[in-house]
Amino acid sequence: MNDDAADVQRVLAGDVDAYAALVDRYYDRCARFAVRMLGNRDDAEDALQVTFVRAYRALDRYQERDRFSAWLYRILVNQCRSIAARRAHRERVFVREEALLLNAPERSTGWTGEDEEFVQRVLSELDPLLREAFLLKYIEEMSYEEMSTLTGVGVSALKMRVKRACDRLRERWERIKHD
Amino acid sequence: MTDSDQHPYVEWIAREAQRPVVTDQAARERIMLAVRAEPVPKRRSRVWARVFEPRAFRLSPVGSTLLAAGLVGIGVIAGGVLNNRDVRPPVGEPKAPAVVQQLPVSDTVVKFVFVAPQASKVSVVGDFNGWDATTTPMVRTPNSSLWTVTLPLTTGRHVYSFVVDGSSWNADPAAPLAPDDGFGPKSVRIVGRGFAL
Repeated sequence: MNDDAADVQRVLAGDVDAYAALVDRYYDRCARFAVRMLGNRDDAEDALQVTFVRAYRALDRYQERDRFSAWLYRILVNQCRSIAARRAHRERVFVREEALLLNAPERSTGWTGEDEEFVQRVLSELDPLLREAFLLKYIEEMSYEEMSTLTGVGVSALKMRVKRACDRLRERWERIKHD
Repeated sequence: MTDSDQHPYVEWIAREAQRPVVTDQAARERIMLAVRAEPVPKRRSRVWARVFEPRAFRLSPVGSTLLAAGLVGIGVIAGGVLNNRDVRPPVGEPKAPAVVQQLPVSDTVVKFVFVAPQASKVSVVGDFNGWDATTTPMVRTPNSSLWTVTLPLTTGRHVYSFVVDGSSWNADPAAPLAPDDGFGPKSVRIVGRGFAL
């Protein structure tokens, strides 16, 4: 039995504190996906709160044959979709001047708040389904089979979404170069 | 990023997006506060879980036609009885014509039925499955627009929604609407203790 399964068993046996170990183990990774997907920390925090609480409520339905991380991610991805859909109409406001960061790919400096804001802006310009597929593939480094299990979408459709996301990013780079 | 022929700009975006984000310890503590306010989940009996896990059934064309006709008939009758309910058309399925009453198989086992002629997949999500659209897929009755699934539910009030094609949330036209929490339309159903709805 792995650590996750053991912690789930402890929770189901009445040890609620064992759930804190699961939260600690997966919070950072889930936070990265939620922030990249939703574009801001407030929405991401809402998604994480609901995800972990809903996972707890449904813990009696978790099957040990499934990986806990994959099961948790399914809930997170759905939660991010719900929040993204609800807030899609909101106008996003970015205060950074993109021109200052046009040469970003050639720079080798470390991570800064400016870089993060820029990357968030670029990701937010992708269609949500393309962004989701791109993040699962290249940021969470999942296989297409894992992504398919998680999203319920076929492998070929997911490959197409990832390809289209990469195409959009390349097109964006070409526009920047020629402006 | 594993694709060696990937554009440098795409690689850069992916590499930067992989960096961890700063998280707030207080947020984790708020999660555990909310968790401690919840009832402790209990392990379900393996036998019970196996008996009621979703399965796909094969039906002959004649059998499926009879089943579809029977369910629609019940839905029409129930719709007549319940015509004073707060019923709204489902989001994303404007052409779904029928109100199909959900059928209590027993006090705590419920058959969910949804009409979605244009859908390629439908699932039911609710407080009973962590709102996970992949957990409880519904099965389309061959040659019809009816999607069904049978579930054991705990006694009490349940909030649920039908998810069409993985993204469109739809309230149950035959059940009262749940208060809007901004996450999409949902319905309410009371299960057990002799309640039909």
